[in-house]
Amino acid sequence: MRPLHERFLAEIAAERQRLSRRRLVGGSAKLAGGGALALSLAGMPRIGRAQDDATPEAEAVQFESDVDVLNFALTLEHLENSFYRDGLPLFEDLGTDGFGFSITEQIAAIQAHEQAHVDTLTTVITDLGGTPVEEQTYNFEDAYASETAFLETAMALENTGVQAYNGAGAFIEDADLLTAAGSIVSVEARHASYLNLINDASPFPDAFDEALTADEVLEIAGPFIAS
Amino acid sequence: MAVRAIPAAQEVVDVSTPTGVLNYALTLEHLENAFYRDGLDEFDDADFEDAGFDASVRERLAEIGEHEQAHVDTLTEVITQLGEEDPVEEGSYLFEDAFADVQTFLATAAVFENTGVSAYQGAAQYLQENDELLTAALNIHSVEARHAAYLNGLTEVSAFPAATDTPLAPDDVVTAITPFLDTEATPVA
Repeated sequence: MRPLHERFLAEIAAERQRLSRRRLVGGSAKLAGGGALALSLAGMPRIGRAQDDATPEAEAVQFESDVDVLNFALTLEHLENSFYRDGLPLFEDLGTDGFGFSITEQIAAIQAHEQAHVDTLTTVITDLGGTPVEEQTYNFEDAYASETAFLETAMALENTGVQAYNGAGAFIEDADLLTAAGSIVSVEARHASYLNLINDASPFPDAFDEALTADEVLEIAGPFIAS
Repeated sequence: MAVRAIPAAQEVVDVSTPTGVLNYALTLEHLENAFYRDGLDEFDDADFEDAGFDASVRERLAEIGEHEQAHVDTLTEVITQLGEEDPVEEGSYLFEDAFADVQTFLATAAVFENTGVSAYQGAAQYLQENDELLTAALNIHSVEARHAAYLNGLTEVSAFPAATDTPLAPDDVVTAITPFLDTEATPVA
């Protein structure tokens, strides 16, 4: 366990360092743009909690193209898809939800959506001339330890997925791709709502969701990625 | 991928400025906010129980109503700050049929929320020039989707009927909500 765990941490550290380097490269642009933005937004109320600790400029250097953004999304969709595909068969019957639906069947539907998102993103990235990221090896051992752990991990992954898309949306240049990403994130939000509910949490805990930066997302998702 | 081009030319809704887009969103949020506020006034816990829903369902609806009020307040504030046009005000609505009974109230709520999701999706591209406004809109959009999933579940429709949702162009959204608007008295952004 221990060496494996250390490997995850090293992976995350390397990823964070890579992102920091890119941020450093973009540093001068960040300085130049930052002042103007601060001025124009000085009088505006904070909307949700998205902008508390990151300016768009600080995030901007993380994604250099639409393909970068889509590959980031694909990384998360692969993670979710594998999680459900490999985990769901381990649990015979997850019971019935408050609406009267079979939880096992609902999660099977969620998994089918994640697979569809993987397929779509892979196709679009290829069409754009990019190289789609592939499925990785994941460490879901703890997440599969019990039904409770499985459902709680599912909840965490879906809510993180929403925050990830919300944070990445502003970096998409192409209007049609933004619309398409929007039509995926709302489904992630539906999943999150449902999984919150079956974990006895509020399906909609706040009037505004949050937007996370890519490195915040990687910090959460990183421990699940073994290679 | 369901990459749908939304026609750029709009006949009714002006999405050519951020204020226009935000006023369009505010029009929808006003409708939703008034709908929950008045509907929850109409139906109490006993009405929900008679319809087969326990009190927790009414509480969730109240939470949703609070979110819509928060969206109204925030959008109004931002539009005011932008200073280009006045924020649209709450209109006069025709909810009589929707308030016929609890089931119809919930079914109508589901339609409003799902339409709201599609509306934000169709309008997001018009905020692309302003990252902060776009991100804020996305943070509202996903909450509408959370509401939609819950209401779908209550009305015995899948919480997530498809792998992707469907964006709607602003004029199509206005067409969809027009039956609920007392148009003489209600401004459409």
